[in-house]
Amino acid sequence: MQPSPQTISLLLADARLPSGGHAQSSGVEPALLAGMPVADVPAFLRARARTTGMVDAGTAVLARHRALDCIPVAPIERAWAARTPSRAIRDASKDLGRGLLRLAGRIWPEVRSSLDHLGESPPRPLVLGAIAAHAGIDAESLVRLTVYDDMACAVAALLKLEPGDPAHGVAMVLEACSSIEPQVAAVSSITAAHQIPAASAPQSEAWSEAHALTTRRLFRA
Amino acid sequence: MPENTPTRALRLGVAGPVGTGKSSLIATVCRSLADELRLGVITNDIYTDEDARFLRSAGVLEPERIRAVETGACPHTAIRDDITTNLLAAEDLERDFAPLDVVLIESGGDNLTATFSPALVDAQIFVLDVAGGGDVARKGGPGIGRADLLVVNKTDLAPYVGVDVPQMVADASVAREGRAVLALSRSDVASIAALRAWVLGVLESHRRGTHVPQDPGPMAPHFHADEEHPEGGFVHAHDETSGDEHHASAPHHVHSHSDTRK
Repeated sequence: MQPSPQTISLLLADARLPSGGHAQSSGVEPALLAGMPVADVPAFLRARARTTGMVDAGTAVLARHRALDCIPVAPIERAWAARTPSRAIRDASKDLGRGLLRLAGRIWPEVRSSLDHLGESPPRPLVLGAIAAHAGIDAESLVRLTVYDDMACAVAALLKLEPGDPAHGVAMVLEACSSIEPQVAAVSSITAAHQIPAASAPQSEAWSEAHALTTRRLFRA
Repeated sequence: MPENTPTRALRLGVAGPVGTGKSSLIATVCRSLADELRLGVITNDIYTDEDARFLRSAGVLEPERIRAVETGACPHTAIRDDITTNLLAAEDLERDFAPLDVVLIESGGDNLTATFSPALVDAQIFVLDVAGGGDVARKGGPGIGRADLLVVNKTDLAPYVGVDVPQMVADASVAREGRAVLALSRSDVASIAALRAWVLGVLESHRRGTHVPQDPGPMAPHFHADEEHPEGGFVHAHDETSGDEHHASAPHHVHSHSDTRK
């Protein structure tokens, strides 16, 4: 018996999945260290969801599409990198992708074949897309999963960084995730690299670049 | 379990509470073995790369062979529940400086319950110190009870903190049912020689393929406060005899969690 695609979506969205996510803050620690007020975190999350989140979700959808058609996924990495100008953010995504691929390779060995020529550290959205293709996860679920995982990671980190009510954090995750609902249909129907949203977040990227050079940090990025 | 190929380095974990001398112990191991073994170190700091910088400044290894990983404010998770970051760092270090004999992984100073997953390290040292109190060894816990080696560190301080070292070692030996205990001081040459010999012995059995990583196990029995309970709470254990996964147990019920990592 195969687990249902829905179960696998839940698994991939679970913060307890042992793939290295607990050492990441989705840009929240860089933002707070740079002086962004805690009160701005909800707005920060919405901005991240519609920029970095949509780039990653569109990339994941295209990776899934190509993996399903047995077309190499590797060329999409350039399209993703061109839309992710911060090296620190690209490195963080590759760390996450590496951890996820290490785990996925144990459970679904065929995921590795879809990611040929990408080395051991493909960016997270490419790995998510390849897993979705092999696990039967539909494109809309993949978009929501890609964004939710990033938002949940941000809020889990926030609770370590600043005192706060955990229930308030849950509300923030839901608000940020629901803010991208109007885009889900369009992003989930992407079939070519030029359709991936090109929405960068220059301030957040600058904060991430600065964070990568500090020695006092709790999170990788 | 880590993939145990003959070329892979022995991965040796060093855990124990904050301030017991984990970084210093690693520096001591490096100093006494760097001439004959190819070593690498990974530190799991909590707030900074302080431990990595301490070790680099100690000059016991080339600075590039000492790497720090972030633990997301949870050093316990990074060595047990989600070991990904440490595994990837160990693999990178082993690849970049191949071949390495030993990779030492220092946990972020956590409490008495934090131990390494056997999927991350082949063997682990748990470090206590006399200044933490002579009674700590008696308190037990997975690291004290079942790490491959328990070190009672800073024995040179014993006269100043009123601790009877032979008694502390005897208590620890009882808690460990005879497993190895080493009273260590960086100013006691004989104790350093004993530490060195222990590491070489584990490395030898790792190379022969006879060493099997042990799991010290999950948390020790501990007390859960509960204001509504007539005695103020209940004792809760996670041992290896039953499969109960329910945490909110009835008062006065000592229950167990199966150990699925064996």
